[in-house]
Amino acid sequence: MNLKSEALKAVSAMLALGLITVGLGFASGNYRGFYLALTLGGIIAASSAIYLVIISMKNAEDLKSVATPTIQSLWISTSMGLGYVVTAYAPYFKYPFTVATALFALGWIILGFGLAELLRISKASGVELAV
Amino acid sequence: MGEAGKKDVYGDFATLTVPEEHTKSTLNIFMIYMGVLAVVAAIFAGSALAKMYDAATMLEVAILGNVILAIFGGLIAYVGGSTRANTYMILRYPLGRLGSLAGNVIVSAIPLVVWFAVETWLFGLTVNVIYPNHPLTSIAAASIWGGLLMMITAYYGFKAMAILSYITVPFWYTLVVIGFFASVDLAGGFSKIWAARPEVIAPLGAGITYVVGVYAAGSVITSDVARYGRKPWSGSVAWATHVIFFMTALLFAGGVMTLLTGSPNVIVAIAQIGLGLGALLLAILGQWTTNDNNLWSAALAWINTTGRLNKRAWVVILGVIGTLIAGVWAGLWGMSLQPFINFAMMLGYFIPPVGAVIIADFYIFRPFVLGLKNPRERYRFGPGTKYYAINVPGIVAVALGGAVAWYTSTIGLGAPVINGIVVAFITYVVLITALHKAGMPWGLGEWVEKETGF
Repeated sequence: MNLKSEALKAVSAMLALGLITVGLGFASGNYRGFYLALTLGGIIAASSAIYLVIISMKNAEDLKSVATPTIQSLWISTSMGLGYVVTAYAPYFKYPFTVATALFALGWIILGFGLAELLRISKASGVELAV
Repeated sequence: MGEAGKKDVYGDFATLTVPEEHTKSTLNIFMIYMGVLAVVAAIFAGSALAKMYDAATMLEVAILGNVILAIFGGLIAYVGGSTRANTYMILRYPLGRLGSLAGNVIVSAIPLVVWFAVETWLFGLTVNVIYPNHPLTSIAAASIWGGLLMMITAYYGFKAMAILSYITVPFWYTLVVIGFFASVDLAGGFSKIWAARPEVIAPLGAGITYVVGVYAAGSVITSDVARYGRKPWSGSVAWATHVIFFMTALLFAGGVMTLLTGSPNVIVAIAQIGLGLGALLLAILGQWTTNDNNLWSAALAWINTTGRLNKRAWVVILGVIGTLIAGVWAGLWGMSLQPFINFAMMLGYFIPPVGAVIIADFYIFRPFVLGLKNPRERYRFGPGTKYYAINVPGIVAVALGGAVAWYTSTIGLGAPVINGIVVAFITYVVLITALHKAGMPWGLGEWVEKETGF
């Protein structure tokens, strides 16, 4: 397994998921839902973008130096995924049912994908999850 | 394995310095501190500021108070980062080996079990408010399952606590921000924040003292976590960052919510906007990441006090005691926790002075009087190391500092916490320097460290 390549793919996927949720928030048509998605999705997207740059500058042979920022980045995104799971259906944010359902599903995807990638990269690199 | 290849018989290097290969990144240390701070009680603490100030002054007071805490806790964290030793090992020098046993009891062994019980009961109360009318969410039942939950990560130790903090901290703080903005939105918007103010504005000093008092005791045990830092300054940077930015934000949020709505209860605010599950997770995860740390530090303190049993056994013993106090004493029998809180508060007057003697010993006495300029050489640990049984100036300084803090609180003179710190610091430096210059020993008796590090 090429850890650096896998790490870049995982964090890129999180970046994409974060941007999709921001787009869905924009589509919700009200400021409350938009600000929520901008916060949660924005944190995912911004942190993933920053960490992508950091990871891409690391030496692919040095597994620890690649895995450490990857795991840090994935923890942030995964935690935000939990945020979507919890908030998507709250009446206050006034999401249309389809948007709420999509965000709820994406929240679970981010959470599940994040945890799976965390375990996989930690195991492959020998870097602890509590990095 | 710990220092000099010694086996870590107690777990989590309770009596040993942390080996290089077990050190963690500054981010890791930061996340642990953030997890400790991630508790609704921190937001509730901001409520008192709302009774004293308008929003702008509240922010000013919170920043100034937290800068003081950042310096106080940051200095102590650097001691742990340099020596890789926890608070209870460090205390062997400024208090002596037997003196440190008393220090352990005052700083962590008893108060942290009390706070564990109080936080567990608060957890039960919060769950009951959010989800009433279910047998598992009665205050007693929720306190008991909550207490057991909080024991799990403390039982498995530092790594488990760090993992929980990683998943919890970003989510928890984001949800608090959402709850805060939602409650402001529902209460009329941000324009109202700057217009709201209490009838009488208190002096700045009163608020700064209050802010320092909220977290002064926590500042003293920063080394428990900072000793895991990869760099000597990791703990100091992590501590200062989390206190200045996030403690300030939580106090401000609690204060503003109180100004606008009359209540700082962010959990109720979140539940009111339809985030029942979010409110529940906020309560569960927030109390969990704070209380597992209380229990873990208390277990480390008891190991260093008794030299018996290991960390896991102490976590179970103390966790069960705390959970029974919360669930049965308070939850089931409806008895007040106030006697326990009063006792912990009484001990609390002596905790900041303990921090003061650590700072005085490490930063003044050892480098400038004993000439130990290298921070790593100021304290040595390991089997065969000889300590004074009692460091007389240390014990006198803590006793005097604590007494002054208590007394000035009863007569309302100045800032009791700061009074105690200043008195303990000056007393220690003057006494120990005078004894040393006079060629007299500053300690009594001797204690030789055993193979186990005890």
